[in-house]
Amino acid sequence: MKILIIEDESGLRESIEEYFMEAGNICETASNYPEALAKVNLYRYDCILLDITLPGGNGIEILKNLKQKNFADGVLIISAKNSLDDRLEGLDLGADDYLVKPFHLSELKARVSAIIRRKTFSGNNLLLFNEITIDLLAKTVKVNDQSVKLTRKEYALLLYFIANKGKVVSKNAIAEHLWGDGIDLSNNFDFIYSHIKNLRKKLMEAGSNDYIEAAYGMGYKFTDQ
Amino acid sequence: MKLLARYNRVNLVTTIIVMLITGIVYYQAINLILTDKIDKDLVVEENEIFDYVNLNHQLPQVFESNDQQITFTEQSPGSVKRSFINTLYRNREREDHERVEHGEHSEHPKKHRHRHEEEFESGRGLITSITAGGKYYKILIVESKVETEDLIQIIFAITAGVILLLLITLFVTNRLLLNRLWQPFYNLLKELRLFNVADNKDIPQLQTTIEEFNELNKAIVTMSSRVKSDYKDLKTFTENASHELLTPIAVINSKLDTLIQTDNFSQQQSKLLNDLYSAVSRLTRLNQSLLLLVKIENKLVGDKQFIDLHSSLQEIIIQFDEIFQDKELKVSSELDDKVLHGSPYLIDILLNNLLSNAIRHNYNGGTIIIKLNEEKLVIQNTGDNAALQNEQIFRRFHKSSNSEGSGLGLTISRQICENLGFTLNYTFEGIYHTFTIIF
Repeated sequence: MKILIIEDESGLRESIEEYFMEAGNICETASNYPEALAKVNLYRYDCILLDITLPGGNGIEILKNLKQKNFADGVLIISAKNSLDDRLEGLDLGADDYLVKPFHLSELKARVSAIIRRKTFSGNNLLLFNEITIDLLAKTVKVNDQSVKLTRKEYALLLYFIANKGKVVSKNAIAEHLWGDGIDLSNNFDFIYSHIKNLRKKLMEAGSNDYIEAAYGMGYKFTDQ
Repeated sequence: MKLLARYNRVNLVTTIIVMLITGIVYYQAINLILTDKIDKDLVVEENEIFDYVNLNHQLPQVFESNDQQITFTEQSPGSVKRSFINTLYRNREREDHERVEHGEHSEHPKKHRHRHEEEFESGRGLITSITAGGKYYKILIVESKVETEDLIQIIFAITAGVILLLLITLFVTNRLLLNRLWQPFYNLLKELRLFNVADNKDIPQLQTTIEEFNELNKAIVTMSSRVKSDYKDLKTFTENASHELLTPIAVINSKLDTLIQTDNFSQQQSKLLNDLYSAVSRLTRLNQSLLLLVKIENKLVGDKQFIDLHSSLQEIIIQFDEIFQDKELKVSSELDDKVLHGSPYLIDILLNNLLSNAIRHNYNGGTIIIKLNEEKLVIQNTGDNAALQNEQIFRRFHKSSNSEGSGLGLTISRQICENLGFTLNYTFEGIYHTFTIIF
């Protein structure tokens, strides 16, 4: 997939670029408004990560420009502004999603994957990972045609892992993804362990390989290598 | 003490003192003048005696007069020094005089004199001497001062009357006039009491012609607008600072996410990374809480809807289910239906905060009780077996030493309740820390 990262903060831009860089992905970057506008008008992307506050202009204008010209690129706004109005304005103008800074890269990746899936899997709602098949519309999971019954959280967890396959995902990020921002309880995320344990058990009982591995007590990694 | 009462008191005391001094001065002046007049009468009488002796070389017949008495006494020559004295006047007719005046209305009271009735009254006397028929005599001429005293009594009465009249006038004017005069001041005071830096209402211009009040009003209006603009600046600063902090936090967060993708970590390194993650997520939450607080205080969260609190609570209980289980908490809920009007976003934060607190400050195997009815929502939890300091816990950044929260949760909760017109209270009942929202 082809991704454009429009973000003026170089530290963040580089991290995102590095995280998304993998086989088959092309990442381009823009650090200011004119550069971003030029790239948006020259090339097409599967997904554009758009920061709102940019040197030289407002990211919202880039979004408007895209929609005016009927470009079908997916747009994910990444903004420091967390007000409902900003969020609604972005989504009303045709952005596909809105993510508030600071965010976990794994969360960003999961959201971008969801956007791209929606854009490209039209008519075909199946997500494949080796022997695991996920029907995104029916929200069902099969391993080698054997149905696996997952809870809502386990299903979300599986999607999250697949979007971030090969990456270490921190417990922090998982907790925030599953419970939202409201999760302000403790920094002991042991309670997510049971979900991961159950997911792993269910998949393996259905005949799947063991893809989930713990990563030095910091998080988990979903990998087939 | 009220200004009016204080003013009245000072006014009364000064009035009375001034009146007393005036009375004394009057008394002295009139006394002096009248004594001087009597002295002149006495000298005239003395001269008459001298003239008589010069002519007749003998003492005159002593005769009774209404208000003068003359006595002659033989003395050794040269022993008497001429002088005026204050003495007593022996009155032998005053009683009859009065009786006659009152009883018979006679124009000639002297005819009905009863000599045996005597009384003394103050008088003025002249002691002088004369030689008649080879003998040396001391002469004492005494005149009654009773008229002078009558005059003084009248003056005293008038003075007292004037004082009384003044006092009454003062009271009436104070009651009627001063109260009305001070009305702008009380209006201003009312406005000041209602003054709130956070709202947009300004102190109105007073309608008064009194310069002092106009000045005061002007000063207060200026002050209040300055306070408001300062407060706004401070809030803008908080908001901007929090916003500016978000970018570096985002960078740290993303760098951490990148860092854990690199090679193997030792036990110690992963512990350090975990701690870093915790700190960053706390920083994030703190920052978001601050921004949220500013937004709620500014009433920037609109989007009001009707919310079914019953189902909101059920949803949140399901959402927290794993956490309840993890801490082995017993959760019991009695939920009636309740619909309220507000921002779903804020209600969500409110419920989340209160329930998070009930979990965070609970012990493993503890209890949480949630009750909802038409009047109130009650969330009770077990925890430390001691009451919390009631108003302290709603203050910003107040938190127990072992709490990992932002210290803003209850501040935000109370602020949300105030915004919605509810009250949020804390009580400690038996073993339960109890938070009650009264709708």
